[in-house]
Amino acid sequence: MNHIDCKYYLATDVFNGICKRTKDTILADAPACEDFEKVAKCRHCVHYSEDDLYTGKCKNLTLAYPDMKAGTCADFTWN
Amino acid sequence: MKSPQTSMDSPLYNYFGPRPEGEIQPREVKREPSARIARARQLYFDTKSSASVEFPYWYTRKWEELDGEITMVRRAEALKSAFSHITPTIFPGELLVMGKAHYLRGSYPMPWLSEAYFMAQEDEMYKEALEAGKISADKVTTMGQGGGNVTKSTGNVLSIAGKFGLRKEEMPVLLQIARKWFNKSVDDVGHKYEQLVPGYKEKEEIMRAVICMFDSGYTLPQGREVMNYYYPLQFGIEGIRKICKEKMQETAGYPDMDRMYFYKAINIMLEGLQSWIRNHAGEARFMASLEKDETQAAEYLDMAGRLDWLAENPPRTFHDALQLVWIFHVAVLNEDAISGLSPGRLGQVLYPYWKRDVENGILNRERTLELLECMRMKFTELDCFASMGVVGGVLSGNTFNNLCIGGLTKDGNSAANELEMLILESAITNDNPQPTLSLLYDEKLPDEFLYKGIECTKIGTGYPAWVNNRVAMDFLLNNYKNEGMGLEEVRAWSIGGCLETSPGSWMPLELDGVVHYIPGGSAPATSVGVHFISLPKVLEAVLFDGLDMRTGRRVYPSHGLKLESYDLVWEAFQKYFSLTVEVLTLTNNIQHDIWGKISPSIINSMLKPDCLETGKDISRKGSRYNRTFNVEICGGVNLVNSLASIRKNVFEDQNFTLDTMRKAIVENFGYIPAPETGSYSLTEQRKTNDYGNWLKIHKQCLDAPKYGNSDQYVDSIFKEWQEWFSAMCENYRSIYDEPLYSCQISVSTHGPMGAVTMATPDGRLGGTTFSDGSVSAYPGTDKNGPYALFTSASCYNHALSQNSQLNMKIHPSAIQGREGARKFLELIKAYLRKGGFHVQFNVVDSRMLKDAQEHPENYRGLMVRVAGFTQYWVELGKQIQDEVIARTEYTTI
Repeated sequence: MNHIDCKYYLATDVFNGICKRTKDTILADAPACEDFEKVAKCRHCVHYSEDDLYTGKCKNLTLAYPDMKAGTCADFTWN
Repeated sequence: MKSPQTSMDSPLYNYFGPRPEGEIQPREVKREPSARIARARQLYFDTKSSASVEFPYWYTRKWEELDGEITMVRRAEALKSAFSHITPTIFPGELLVMGKAHYLRGSYPMPWLSEAYFMAQEDEMYKEALEAGKISADKVTTMGQGGGNVTKSTGNVLSIAGKFGLRKEEMPVLLQIARKWFNKSVDDVGHKYEQLVPGYKEKEEIMRAVICMFDSGYTLPQGREVMNYYYPLQFGIEGIRKICKEKMQETAGYPDMDRMYFYKAINIMLEGLQSWIRNHAGEARFMASLEKDETQAAEYLDMAGRLDWLAENPPRTFHDALQLVWIFHVAVLNEDAISGLSPGRLGQVLYPYWKRDVENGILNRERTLELLECMRMKFTELDCFASMGVVGGVLSGNTFNNLCIGGLTKDGNSAANELEMLILESAITNDNPQPTLSLLYDEKLPDEFLYKGIECTKIGTGYPAWVNNRVAMDFLLNNYKNEGMGLEEVRAWSIGGCLETSPGSWMPLELDGVVHYIPGGSAPATSVGVHFISLPKVLEAVLFDGLDMRTGRRVYPSHGLKLESYDLVWEAFQKYFSLTVEVLTLTNNIQHDIWGKISPSIINSMLKPDCLETGKDISRKGSRYNRTFNVEICGGVNLVNSLASIRKNVFEDQNFTLDTMRKAIVENFGYIPAPETGSYSLTEQRKTNDYGNWLKIHKQCLDAPKYGNSDQYVDSIFKEWQEWFSAMCENYRSIYDEPLYSCQISVSTHGPMGAVTMATPDGRLGGTTFSDGSVSAYPGTDKNGPYALFTSASCYNHALSQNSQLNMKIHPSAIQGREGARKFLELIKAYLRKGGFHVQFNVVDSRMLKDAQEHPENYRGLMVRVAGFTQYWVELGKQIQDEVIARTEYTTI
């Protein structure tokens, strides 16, 4: 997994971010370190079903996408 | 005084006064920001403009769920869902938090307004938009290649709309969301109905020719206006919700039921804002839990407590008030695509809180300065997501959050205060582009305050712009007297956007039992309607009987005139210009009507007096003042110089015929057409082998009288144009059934609009940039000094128009030291006392700009004033950079 998939990744822009733990500047697409923890995203939610690589459904009903951050979604449930 | 002869060379630099020699002269030494802000600035410089799909995803999802719901309520629910789902982010060191999206320079598309322009160029939706002339300006816009712009796709990042980076994994869902809005967006629905307007076909051709820069109703439907922060400051969010609940009960079942839906919508939308704020409080606590530095952890916890408090209550302190103001500022920006949302006279709004905190010993000068520096970071981080033609061609990536200082109080005394002195100081120590400052100059302002403004202008920030308080008051009284504006109320005015004079109201803020009358905006967008008509391009159509000579397409019906006299040329120009204004007024009225019907403003409406009292949103004339539609123009000085050349060369001196003039234009005076060389620079045009055939005529065109030299010959043409233009605007009416008024700012449109325009009779070469602003001289043609320029600029009554715009470039040595400051202030006063409305300055050695163009890596923080805004040099397109370099530089005043 990469930094962009980590709970401690604070995106400053589409390329870079800051590690919330170390405050280091890190690349979104660089491999994560050993302290990695998954950030809540639709791809990790029981309600998400995949249509293709980039899109899917929420609760088999609504358009969704796997990389949507889900930290603010009340229905998010880890799969 | 006569216009002097012009050199045939196209010099890189133009000077009035001795030519600078030796090393490049730096600007006067500036002071440094606090360590906290120095880190924040570096982070900003390292950050790219980034778009996110989060907000449009949740908005669209909720919108679809509520099919059949009352539109106003449906939109409120969609906004609530979107705000509630923004991923909260807090960046280390921030004292003020929250932004448009989860990135530092975050923004997002709003497909409910318009969706075609960010689709792939192969997409049918994009092709349709192109065919309708909606995105013609995109094609001729040059985006700045440096700074935070993402102009090329790379790796997992795609470049969209020429500026914004989007994660590749988000593009498929963005396209699916955009397609959901096809035929439902304000753009698409408006387009369906605007075709009913007689003359619609001409409108399409006008857009294709880029005679008009962009449609108003779906691109930037709000903005160019002044925020009003009174209600949240006075009542807090729960207090406003309580008012809404009471009003819902009062209106339920009674006539004019739209009021009930409006109050319900506000209540829903505020719930969304509360979630948004509380989510950030939670994130602050999370950040605190990870933090090893005790001071930083305490700041996070303090922030969490503040946000939790503000989610319900009115502010307790200056810091609270500043945070709440920021929250509502961003909330409005997230409601629509907006540029030019101005905080207005924020130093006067927040002064009661600041004074109380200082008196209570809980706030000092240093902490105030740090908070204000943080505020400047937050405003600078804002991006506006719109099409390339709008963001690049009009805005140059700027967002125009104009903060005004000075002016008068309700009872007519100087309104300058100590907090405004600190606002100026923070603009010196943290010299970011936003918020830009405008100093509302009045003879009653104290010298100490004026000299602080001079100190800020001298370091080269481009701000404060110096604006004439009395001229603005005259304009406003004239325009808004029919809606009840009086002498006290007019003093509450402010600048909305870069330079749009906007009405205000005095709001009774009660604090500790004392009422403080604070100024705030009291009108919706004051610059919507007909957006940027290219005057030289209209003249081109006049000379060629209605054709766009770049494309060969017919834009206007044949005027059928032989143009055998100057008066006939002028008459044909009036005819085509009037036709343009008429058709654009009608089509834009339809777009704005559609906007109000399917995407009405809720947040901004709630804030504007008297919407909350009357239950009417701003699209239903809920605001106190509603005469807010205008006609904007570009290239006025090139038009006037061209008319002078035609009158002089063709009809008076008969140096050559009008047919010869036409041929010279077609042949570009013997220069290679800019599209062939790819260079639109004023100073980089290359000659053909036939140049000699056109040399004499070109010289005669260049030698014709030029505006800016106190030359009565051309100034009288300028005056006639100005008076006719402002008067004719009143012949057209907005959807609010109010007459239009004239507006004269170029922003960055003089670049792309120049790019599509053939050579002009004043000797300007085809494709090159027009003169900036509205009363700035064409680069290099003002040769008689600043006071001659002032005489030309003030030859008509500036209060006829919403604004006028004068840019001057001054070499730093000309105003150096205390004596230089004194001379500089006297220069400004001289212009404003002559009736000038506005003047702004680039204090810079032009050679530094050229060096920055060649070595941008050494100038990441270099800022310049373009036309009503300050921007980082490296984020400007080359057309505009070249024009700023070429402007006449005054090495002596």
